[in-house]
Amino acid sequence: MAWRNLGRNRVRTALAALGIVIGVMAIASLGMAGVALQQQASSNLGGLTNQVTISPGQDSPEDGITDEQVEEIRSIVTDAKVIAQKTNDTTVTSRGQEAHVSVTGLTQASALYDVSAGESPERFQSGALLTNSTAQALGLELGDPIEYDGQLYRIRGLIDSSSGFGPGGFGELVLPLSALSDQQYYDSVTIVAADGDAATDIAANLETYFNQDGRNEEEILSISSYASVQQNINSFMNTLELALLGIGSISLFVASVAILNVMLMSTIERRGEIGVLRAVGIRRGEVLRMILTEAAFLGTLGGLIGALCSLGVGLALFNVLTGDPWLVFQWESSRYLVYGMAFAISASVLSGLYPAWKAANESPVEALRG
Amino acid sequence: MSVIELDDVVKRYESGAETITALKGVDFHADRGEMVTVVGPSGSGKSTMLNLIGLLDAPTNGSVYLDGQDVTDFTEDQRTEERRSELGFVFQEFHLLPMLTAVENVELPSMWDTSVDRHDRAIDLLQRVGLGDRLQHTPQQLSGGQKQRVAIARSLINKPDILLADEPTGNLDQDTGRTILEEMRRLKDEENIAIVSITHDEQLETYSDRVVRLVDGVIQS
Repeated sequence: MAWRNLGRNRVRTALAALGIVIGVMAIASLGMAGVALQQQASSNLGGLTNQVTISPGQDSPEDGITDEQVEEIRSIVTDAKVIAQKTNDTTVTSRGQEAHVSVTGLTQASALYDVSAGESPERFQSGALLTNSTAQALGLELGDPIEYDGQLYRIRGLIDSSSGFGPGGFGELVLPLSALSDQQYYDSVTIVAADGDAATDIAANLETYFNQDGRNEEEILSISSYASVQQNINSFMNTLELALLGIGSISLFVASVAILNVMLMSTIERRGEIGVLRAVGIRRGEVLRMILTEAAFLGTLGGLIGALCSLGVGLALFNVLTGDPWLVFQWESSRYLVYGMAFAISASVLSGLYPAWKAANESPVEALRG
Repeated sequence: MSVIELDDVVKRYESGAETITALKGVDFHADRGEMVTVVGPSGSGKSTMLNLIGLLDAPTNGSVYLDGQDVTDFTEDQRTEERRSELGFVFQEFHLLPMLTAVENVELPSMWDTSVDRHDRAIDLLQRVGLGDRLQHTPQQLSGGQKQRVAIARSLINKPDILLADEPTGNLDQDTGRTILEEMRRLKDEENIAIVSITHDEQLETYSDRVVRLVDGVIQS
């Protein structure tokens, strides 16, 4: 019955539903946009969020990180990989081509470097890893020798150049620690923890040990973890998401005013009819229910169409921002479709309340007079 | 015993600063199997009287009895329940719902009541008023006379004691009006109900058992 009542004035019903559609789309699309942005930001940080990077602080007495400090770090951090690195830079030449590369020496390559070809050894004692793009520029392949500081190293793996931040643009040559043995101190220590939270804890512990306990706010070691960067981004994204949702809610609010108007018009138009219903013994509560049902139908219809359209928008958004459109179906973003619909239905029923109450409580005599 | 009775009923309306007395001490009754017509000029209080008999409104003074029960001080919800079970209405403009079929319009008063299934009675009533082949037609597809028959069938769906008719032939031509009145008389006997009509139509008087004249809120005869 309610459904057929809506069918009586299709244009008006369609316009009211359109208002809801736009409102739901605004809420759901903006919500999903927030999630997509957040995921894009996280994926740009890549696998770095579980790492803690340590470099000499500005108050460090030495020009680098000492063996003793690395040992101290190892004794504090027992449940994560501690990888001490020495760095340098050099120009490598091959077949008449030359390239400027940064050089990193370490004993464990697998935790920090992903290779697109060859291997990234767990215990790194011989050979070399080279950035893929540099290898191509120099015409080098796996197994070819590369010279550093008068020594030849055989290329064992090609580093996937798109992984992590890395020294962008520069190539990177990764050698066993022994290749840089003439450098006395380490330049940095990277700690690979299980996850972002563990990295944050480790960073805090090290900060306390090296820079605070018994020291006068000196920075002996500079300790940074990307997890805190991630947290900052997350909290910014949450704020952004709330703001976007707020904007979306305004449009749904406007839509519910439109529904209020439509339902009010429709009950005023059907005043005589409602009078007849009341005269033949239809109870006030039943009239109320009928009109609320109409409003709920409107909300459901608009909500469904709106959710479907938003799903389309979401697929496009995720495709552009994260490259995987199907991510839209994960609960984190698809919940906004559910929220949008729930919001649409409750807003419709709420705005149907006043017209319904007004229609149900009018005296049948007055209503019959038309 | 009268199925409906008005006892010294007064009805006043406040209209701005003015007070209009529509009914000035009306006594009225109707019995089962009786067709009573109330006639009178415009503004004589006919519609007010029908509203009081139909429990759509409450009197300012005096009493209203339905089946011997004093219903004068009933609340709106109590009156709704009485209308639902005891009364049927037929209007000049038929007042059928345009999006419902004939049979759905007849079932309308009990549509929300899931405890009873009145579908069979609705079909039976439509067949009895000669619309057995128009069950699924919407009001738009029916003539004026056919619409009024649907309205009459609707008014009888709840097996009422009283059928109230407000100018039942007002929107019909004379021939159609006559057949409608014949229909009403027949149903009145079949269902053993009281019919109270208000009208300008003199034709209606010839089909009535009794005619009551109302002038300026006072019954003349």
